[in-house]
Amino acid sequence: MNQALSDFAARLRALIAIGQPAIAKQQFAELALDLFALQFRSNSAYRKICRAQGATPGSVEHWTQIPIVPTSAFKELELSCIPPEERASVFHSSGTTTQKPSRHFHGVESLALYEASSWRWFLENVLPDLQFKRGAGGAAGSSPSGNPPPAIFLTPPPAQTPRSSLVYMLDVVRRRLGAPATAFVGKINADGAWELNYDALRAALAPGCQAADAPPLLLLGTAFSFVHLLDWLGEQNLAFKLPPGSRVMETGGYKNRSRAMSKMELHALIAARLGVPIVNIICEYGMSELSSQAYDGEKRNAEGGGRSFCFPPWAAARIISPETGREAADGQAGLIRVCDLANVFSVAAIQTEDLGIRRGAGFELVGRASPAEARGCSLMNA
Amino acid sequence: MNLPNYFLADLPPEAKLSPAMILEACQTLKRNRGRYLAARPTQSLVNFLSGLAESWRRREFPFRRFALENAGKAGFSRATLERGMDDFFVEFTRDKFEALLVQEFGGAGRLDGMSLAGAEKQPSRAALVRTPEFQVHFGAGNVPNPTLMSVVLGLLTRSAQFVKCASGSAFLPRLFAHSIYDADPKLGASLEIAEWPGGNLELENALFAEADCVTAAGGDETLDEIRKRLPLHVRFIGHGHRVSFGFVANGVLASAGSAEKIAARAADDVVAWNQLGCLSPHVIYVQSGAAVSPEAFAGMLAGELERRETSQPRGEISQEESAAIASRRAFYEVRAAHSPEATRHWCSQNSTAWTVVFEADSLFQLSCLNRFVYVKAVADLKTALESADAVREKVSTVGVAAPEEKIGDLAEQLARWGATRVCPLGRMQNPPLTWRHDGRPALGDLVTWTDWEK
Repeated sequence: MNQALSDFAARLRALIAIGQPAIAKQQFAELALDLFALQFRSNSAYRKICRAQGATPGSVEHWTQIPIVPTSAFKELELSCIPPEERASVFHSSGTTTQKPSRHFHGVESLALYEASSWRWFLENVLPDLQFKRGAGGAAGSSPSGNPPPAIFLTPPPAQTPRSSLVYMLDVVRRRLGAPATAFVGKINADGAWELNYDALRAALAPGCQAADAPPLLLLGTAFSFVHLLDWLGEQNLAFKLPPGSRVMETGGYKNRSRAMSKMELHALIAARLGVPIVNIICEYGMSELSSQAYDGEKRNAEGGGRSFCFPPWAAARIISPETGREAADGQAGLIRVCDLANVFSVAAIQTEDLGIRRGAGFELVGRASPAEARGCSLMNA
Repeated sequence: MNLPNYFLADLPPEAKLSPAMILEACQTLKRNRGRYLAARPTQSLVNFLSGLAESWRRREFPFRRFALENAGKAGFSRATLERGMDDFFVEFTRDKFEALLVQEFGGAGRLDGMSLAGAEKQPSRAALVRTPEFQVHFGAGNVPNPTLMSVVLGLLTRSAQFVKCASGSAFLPRLFAHSIYDADPKLGASLEIAEWPGGNLELENALFAEADCVTAAGGDETLDEIRKRLPLHVRFIGHGHRVSFGFVANGVLASAGSAEKIAARAADDVVAWNQLGCLSPHVIYVQSGAAVSPEAFAGMLAGELERRETSQPRGEISQEESAAIASRRAFYEVRAAHSPEATRHWCSQNSTAWTVVFEADSLFQLSCLNRFVYVKAVADLKTALESADAVREKVSTVGVAAPEEKIGDLAEQLARWGATRVCPLGRMQNPPLTWRHDGRPALGDLVTWTDWEK
């Protein structure tokens, strides 16, 4: 393994462990340029892209000038600094079956960083009231004190979905919370689609909803799995009241796996059928090409600025006008670009196909580049 | 211009349509059709339609001026809309209407009375062409001309018509309907225009219950949904999404001068209706082996598109469409960095106005449209057709540029392969009035014959 990248990863892990104030803007900028220099050297596929644009570590002066890679490039190229023999796993993008998926390769060290990044920001946003102890040694900031809430995951377990970065992340949360493996109540059906195991779900939900002094519950899943859950509750004429303080984390779009509904509609239904107030419903924004996630957590809602997604201090999002390629004006939608320092072993500067509008320190998700499939045929093999 | 409140589409956006309103509109249309349209001679309708088209081509025609002043509402720049409308309305002449009726029915008077025509004289059989009392059109959202064409053919066939426009696409159909009403209120009284997002079962079922014939443009799923909901006796004419491409034979690329002319014709097809129609090319296949290489041709096309941006700008598009182009460009930038010999791209500066992607790989690729076109190198037409095999069932038009002596051969190859229309490159978005849409009769599918064997 490349020692310089390993050192960078260790440095970043230490900063993440200290927490939010540890990475000031200035330091982010310096780290990003350092990482660009390392990736330029270690990632030959990326180097070619940079060279074609005439960008080198010598010519790039500010982190916003670091050449980006579109998420679609992960479908075509092996954008990795990890030699094939050291790759422990690969995360694929979800999407239509006719398309090649994105491939984001991981090794032991990149997964450790993925875990540190994901867990830290998840805690800050989804469970901000859990207190952390500054433990001695390497475990600093890594485990909550007090009793972690029981958790239910509406996805298949990691053994069934080894290519899903979302499920990997959820399993990080599960392990850190000390929840059992049976907390995953989803499964893969005969068509390869994700669905819910309703018996397991009922068994998992019932105890917490019946006992008067039950601890708050954490319910996590994709937007479409919540639709499946809500439809099932409707069909069964069931409504659960999750214990006070319970939280819901939902993520991702619908991808034709369920009927689509607006975020407001979905959250209103979750509130009505599961008894979780809307302020306790948190959205996650993540993708296989990144190692950090953004949340529109309740803390941010409470600040009164409306819901907006925020990445952790070791990742920064910019909104780029698709017309001009420059930073979009305030209030204008643009493509979301993320510079994620936790992507140490692939490429840090990523351009998504999602549209966002800047809102304060974060962004609001407003749409997606329209796919060619919308006009009838699904052919796009790029 | 203040449009009178005459059609459902004229209602303020907050007005809510109900099935009862739809039913009432349908009954009124049918009644008016019986009074004013059913017995109107074909010649009178042809005179009316050709006169109306002439008006639309006059600069000072108020409806035209209003359309152009509000071109953005139709989704186009003024110049693009103007060119599109001029090319569209030029087809509606008396001669061409007559040619259409002869092509479809063997004579121009066959809707007016029992008559004999052509081969039918031999066994001494007369026939009358009967047309549907009431046609319902579900218009496409991307370009306006197919919807206007449906209205024209609906009038020619003396049907009461209800046009349901996709969300946000009623502007031009509505204006066209007002121009009909203005010129001949009796004809306008047999026409209704409304707009709602497709899939409103309450409204649509009310409409289908009254229809004799439903025409619809849209994706396969949409068409399937509509077809399933129609009563058995209702005739359904669905036009699914189609794709088109160009083919440039190496025989016309011997010199830069002639190649530039061909590139300008390809640009005509890319620029027309911002490439959004089913007849617009996604890919231009260019045969290699001539002095001007496919890659050089791509560069010429890029230069031509840049010039067009001055004379006929693309105009604003939605954020999602713009993002699709930016994303696609970013992808090809990566591909070009990795295989500069096989991929190249040319882009408008500081905008997504036009993009040309050259690829040595000939595999057919769907464009994200709005003036984003692929140029792909092929050894011959056979290779192009093999490369486009995945869209074989979906191809409408192939625009061809080839030496005179080769064109017949190429057209026959294309026909046998499955293309339903072959035309000169540069004319892809200008089908004649007699065009057999999707390879089907232009009017024949609408009508019912009564034969009289004497």
